[in-house]
Amino acid sequence: MVDPEFLRPASVAEAIGMLAGGEATVMAGGTSVGLLIGQGLIEADCLVWLSGIEGMAAITPVPGALRIGAGATLRQVAAHPGVRAVAPAVAAAAGCVGNPRVRAVATVGGALVHADPRQDLPPALAACGAEAEIVGPRGSRRVAVSDLATGFLETVVAPDELLTAVDLPTAARSSSIYFRYTPGSVADFPTVAVAAAAVWSDDDRLVSLRLVLGGVASTPLVVPEAAQLAGADDPHARIADVAAAARTRSDPVSDRLGSAGYKREMAAVWAERALLACLAPPGTAGQLSGAG
Amino acid sequence: MITGAALPLDGTGGCPGGDPADRPRHDARDKATGAFRYAADLPCPGAWHVTLVRCPHPGARILGIDPAAALAAPGVRAVLTAADLPAERAGRRVRDQPLLAGEVALYSGEPVAAVLADTRREAEAAAALVEVSYEPLEAVFDPVVALDAASPLVHDSPWTYPGAVIGPGDGPNLQSVVTDGDPDRVSRALARAAHVVTATYRTPAGHQGYLEPQAWTAWPDGGCVRLRGTTKSPYRLREQVAATLGLEPADIDVEPVALGGDFGGKGSVVDPILCAAIARAVDHPVQLVLRSSEDLTATDARHPSVITVSLACDDDARLVALDFDAVFDGGAYASAKPVPSVNLHGAAEAALGYRFGCFALRSRVAYTHTVPKGHMRAPGAPQTVFAIESAMDELAVRAGVEPAELRRRNLLRSGEEDAYGHVWPDARGIDVLDAALSGAELGGSDLPPGWSAGRGVAFYCRPTPAPPATALALSRLPDGRFEVGVPVPETGTGSHSLVGQQMAAALGTDPANVEVRQLPTSALGFDPGVGASRVTAGMTAAVERLAAAWRDRPPGTDSLRIDVPAGDDGPALTCCAQVAHVAVDPGTGQIRLLELVSAVDVAEVLRRRSHQMQIDGGAVMGIGFARFEDLLEDGGQVWGSTLGEFKLPVAADLPRLRTVTVVGGKGVGPANIKAVGELTNVPAAAAVANAVADAVGVRLRDLPLSAEAVYWRLHPPGRDGR
Amino acid sequence: MVAIRLSLNGEETCVDAPVTASLLEVLREGGLTGTKEGCRIGVCGLCSVLVDGLPVSSCLLLAPCAEGREVWTVEGLAAARPDLADRFAAVEAMQCGICTPGQVVMAAAAQEAGAGEPDAGYLDGNLCRCTGYSTILEALRGSGRADG
Repeated sequence: MVDPEFLRPASVAEAIGMLAGGEATVMAGGTSVGLLIGQGLIEADCLVWLSGIEGMAAITPVPGALRIGAGATLRQVAAHPGVRAVAPAVAAAAGCVGNPRVRAVATVGGALVHADPRQDLPPALAACGAEAEIVGPRGSRRVAVSDLATGFLETVVAPDELLTAVDLPTAARSSSIYFRYTPGSVADFPTVAVAAAAVWSDDDRLVSLRLVLGGVASTPLVVPEAAQLAGADDPHARIADVAAAARTRSDPVSDRLGSAGYKREMAAVWAERALLACLAPPGTAGQLSGAG
Repeated sequence: MITGAALPLDGTGGCPGGDPADRPRHDARDKATGAFRYAADLPCPGAWHVTLVRCPHPGARILGIDPAAALAAPGVRAVLTAADLPAERAGRRVRDQPLLAGEVALYSGEPVAAVLADTRREAEAAAALVEVSYEPLEAVFDPVVALDAASPLVHDSPWTYPGAVIGPGDGPNLQSVVTDGDPDRVSRALARAAHVVTATYRTPAGHQGYLEPQAWTAWPDGGCVRLRGTTKSPYRLREQVAATLGLEPADIDVEPVALGGDFGGKGSVVDPILCAAIARAVDHPVQLVLRSSEDLTATDARHPSVITVSLACDDDARLVALDFDAVFDGGAYASAKPVPSVNLHGAAEAALGYRFGCFALRSRVAYTHTVPKGHMRAPGAPQTVFAIESAMDELAVRAGVEPAELRRRNLLRSGEEDAYGHVWPDARGIDVLDAALSGAELGGSDLPPGWSAGRGVAFYCRPTPAPPATALALSRLPDGRFEVGVPVPETGTGSHSLVGQQMAAALGTDPANVEVRQLPTSALGFDPGVGASRVTAGMTAAVERLAAAWRDRPPGTDSLRIDVPAGDDGPALTCCAQVAHVAVDPGTGQIRLLELVSAVDVAEVLRRRSHQMQIDGGAVMGIGFARFEDLLEDGGQVWGSTLGEFKLPVAADLPRLRTVTVVGGKGVGPANIKAVGELTNVPAAAAVANAVADAVGVRLRDLPLSAEAVYWRLHPPGRDGR
Repeated sequence: MVAIRLSLNGEETCVDAPVTASLLEVLREGGLTGTKEGCRIGVCGLCSVLVDGLPVSSCLLLAPCAEGREVWTVEGLAAARPDLADRFAAVEAMQCGICTPGQVVMAAAAQEAGAGEPDAGYLDGNLCRCTGYSTILEALRGSGRADG
């Protein structure tokens, strides 16, 4: 029972220095790390706590995007007027994680890098086309949020790198929706979750559509067939095909939240419902809420 | 006769004049400020902290235990194994559970060693260093399979344990069996009946879900031992400690502490006896505080059940026969069951409430290689009533009669004899049923588009027992105020506030002048503990007697203690009916409970707010049982090992809860009361299942009622190319 | 062990604790037993405290993360904002009471945020096994919704 080192970097550069060697455990809000340490599930030699890094929690407009600092809490994201306007699905997803105490401290960066496939936020950010900035000893790079997770609790972020921010594109006309399906207690992980985001032209043509599911694979599941609806003559006519693709692409595990077979069915049902809601004319109701 | 629920919960008590039934509870402010102390909050200077090393296998031979690494760890004082403790086993009725497993451990979670250290952190760290080598045994997890002759034996000769209620000829793995009624007559009646339904219902392991982990401190004191902690039955515990440690009850002082939730779970006995034995073995005070996950995986969970019911009626929808055959999973030890039958009285009372032409009942509890099962709020009744009240609806469908009408035609009326031959002078089942139906207020506006609505009803009744024997003390404090000493801990129901208020009324003083104090077992005679909804009746009867004795006390007396014999004015039949309104999404199977109406049979209500919260809290527990509470036992492991997986209802899970109190009943004891604590948690599951069947025509016979089960019935797999 | 300086219930305090100790352990070992240990995974709410005005599960917060921050426990809130405890007592929003301190802290957090009225979902992380929640929601009413 050796006490780990506890380090509080004041800057990203200092943090990167502390991560050299790749043995340190990064923590921000600390809900996941605190839980895992408390339950004896991980042992850390060195904890690097990011909360002291100036500006890491800011949400600020940058050209073409809203930049959400990795240290922004889910509570901040859920309540942020800019996020609510640009990506209602992201605000909705952030607002239904866990409970108010989790949302008060858990961060965007933590939600992405912990890469628990039951998390609400990653599918919503991925659907809305967010990009992550990753900084490491070799410089910085940008990775689409949809490409971050590589497996259960695994991401492309190397042990000596930090995810510092995500950029949420600010399209002029867009709609997005996040549904989480909790057939048991509402205060539980979703059996399946679906995020859909559409971008529209000024004359109400569908320019792009992304559909990302949570809970049905070891990472957020992008359904590429959704993209084909952009430019289609009658996107609504092809919703059922995309829903079927969501079912086929799902590769869930059976657990207390549902059997694999049921989750696949629900992937299709909720994909269809999310697309219907998302493809409703821009500005209509129902684009912020969860479900369940 | 029927009143609305409507107690205004606005802080006025709804009674500006100061009706005693609306006085605030005495502990309310301390509980809200954090000043109120529970067992783990009390100081125990110098005590060594105990962490138990638990067997990870559901059944294993213990080949060896190497404590060396643990003993070398910082702060460690000792590592004890079975060899260091008394060999006598422990239990509330059957003493079949070792304090620490010796040669074999029979369930995953069974303690095999105890690590003692200066701090809890050190004890926990060192516990991980104890090396135990195991050889897993062939195990049995299904209670029906366990009763089969070919199954592995959990215990070689369980009839040899002190208190056992079975014999060598009773078949394998049997903890207990209760039979009643006339099976031959039932067979004939079922063969002749116009309408018969036979179905099997299953319920999973559950947990009381109290939020305060169990906590114990033990002090050795010469040959004696003092114990303080979380028990609802201190006097029974004293006897049980004595039996296992080879002491006299008088050698043991048990000091119960107010409980942070009980619901039957704080009656487990092995941990406190283990704690006492450890303290004696090391001759030093020790403290054992469980972690929440230990409570969930290794204390006294609710029995899973497999219940087959045959129910029959004639062409006039008169019930002609009930055959009830229950198998409960009792787990690896019978130690946590306190009743003489070592069974579950909810099952033994399966035929209560209706006029059945004839009935046959068998309730068997099996040993399995799973965590020992104990009592939870109306033990056996939620499982039993889920089965019978579901079957009642299935029979109604078959007989072509409204489910409520089938019940109405067959519910006992006052003065009638029940299936067991008992005559109930105050049987108000029909009134209560009708009150529940009339209290329902489903509005169509609640129904999401595309969803199907349904209504279900279910009924339950139980005896409120006559006031039990108990004991009570009263003394005048130096400042002129009074102190009442009570034998049972405050479990949260407000029983201590009630005692204070009743005593104040009897003495003609203000309740502020009466302190209520929990006394240790050394200070009073005997009390059977909290359970069977008997505390309020017992305490109010005792207060009346003690107040009378106080008035007649010899001059100069400033303290008095009395033993109160059991009352004889009881039992009183106590009824509850619930109506559930649900909406079901045919596209997903999702079940949304919109409203739950509880109609409750009451006589006098002594503390309105506490009474209402017993009703609401029970209803919520019933909803959890219906909808998602499941310890997820599989392969001998409890997978619902945290409150993140074993989900309890949160506020947002709840439907509109309505209560209809059916006043004017004839209760028990001088206060004329009917019990309320173990009513509304019972019929809810059947009411919801019946509502789901009404909504989408899908009859679910397994709890919890899942969306997935509904979905597959509406969308059978294999179609649509899936 | 690390030395942790924090403001605890309005007073500057320094405590020594192992890095991996939770704030909950530190509080309870320091005698502030109003903060209860429940699930230890942040879902039951028994250990709720305020950190810099926000509600936090003290079971999940490693003690060093409290460095330099303002922590309020139920004891401190009872003294600083007696109206909250009064309200819970007045409507008798409790039975066994083990969850009550955490509920009171959540009420304080709602009051701190000051916007709107807490709904049932505000208690998604505060279990109560006794009351059925209606009296707790009653006590929370008017204290202000904290969270989106």
